[in-house]
Amino acid sequence: MTARATILPFRPKPRRAEKVISNGVLGMLLFVFVEVMLFAGFISAFVIIRSRAVGSVWPPPNQPRLPFAETAVNTSALLASGIVLLIAHRTYRRGNRSIGGLLAVATVLGGVFVALQGVEWLALIREGLTLTSSTYGALFYTIIGAHAVHAVAAIGVLAWAWLRLMAGRLSREAMSTVALFWYFVVVVWPFLYFLVYL
Amino acid sequence: MRIRRPGGLMAGTGLALVAMAVWPDVLHACPVCFDRDDEARIAFLATTGLLTLLPLGLVVGTGVWLRRRARAMRDSKGGGRER
Repeated sequence: MTARATILPFRPKPRRAEKVISNGVLGMLLFVFVEVMLFAGFISAFVIIRSRAVGSVWPPPNQPRLPFAETAVNTSALLASGIVLLIAHRTYRRGNRSIGGLLAVATVLGGVFVALQGVEWLALIREGLTLTSSTYGALFYTIIGAHAVHAVAAIGVLAWAWLRLMAGRLSREAMSTVALFWYFVVVVWPFLYFLVYL
Repeated sequence: MRIRRPGGLMAGTGLALVAMAVWPDVLHACPVCFDRDDEARIAFLATTGLLTLLPLGLVVGTGVWLRRRARAMRDSKGGGRER
């Protein structure tokens, strides 16, 4: 019996590559892309339906007009909320963890936006604009309602982030993920506002 | 045992492509593509452009951003080692 010497090639242990972005941020980015396409589809449907309106009259006659000026207040609250969150996010990324107040203000401003939207919707329903009253109503409630659902979900996520922050368990990655969701809600709104309300 | 020739596959694919190019007629099912109303036609073209270019822009934009980020991380690491 002969002994055979086996020479194993030297294989250095592979180093784990450093992540360019965290899993949470990547996941949220993909989710935001999907939602951007959803709203792009809504916008396309709205533009085509409006272009084919009878007599090129839009909004259709005998339908309540959307409160453009009043909604500017909601819009301001939402934009202010986005700016406050941007400041909080940047501060947190620099390592300063005392952003509880800023995060709370951003969440409350988001809540104000949704609450004012609710008040506006009630007034419109009282005036006769419902989901089934006309194509105009259906488009309005579908598009603006989809945004409102996202806003409510994002406020919930912001509140969760605030609770984690207060407990001292909010990671930078989690903060970036939450902020990304809210930035999407804030950035998509002006497009919807000028398209649907104007 | 049959030996498949790559030339036959190429010829078949070419034939299929020619058939696809020649066979169909212009599709008139789309309610807005051939609309006399200019506004509807412009709206259709604009939204087609939006829905075609937006996902491409998102993917390309993210790719460029990730590449820049990765390069910046690598550069900062390299700079740290030199120091």
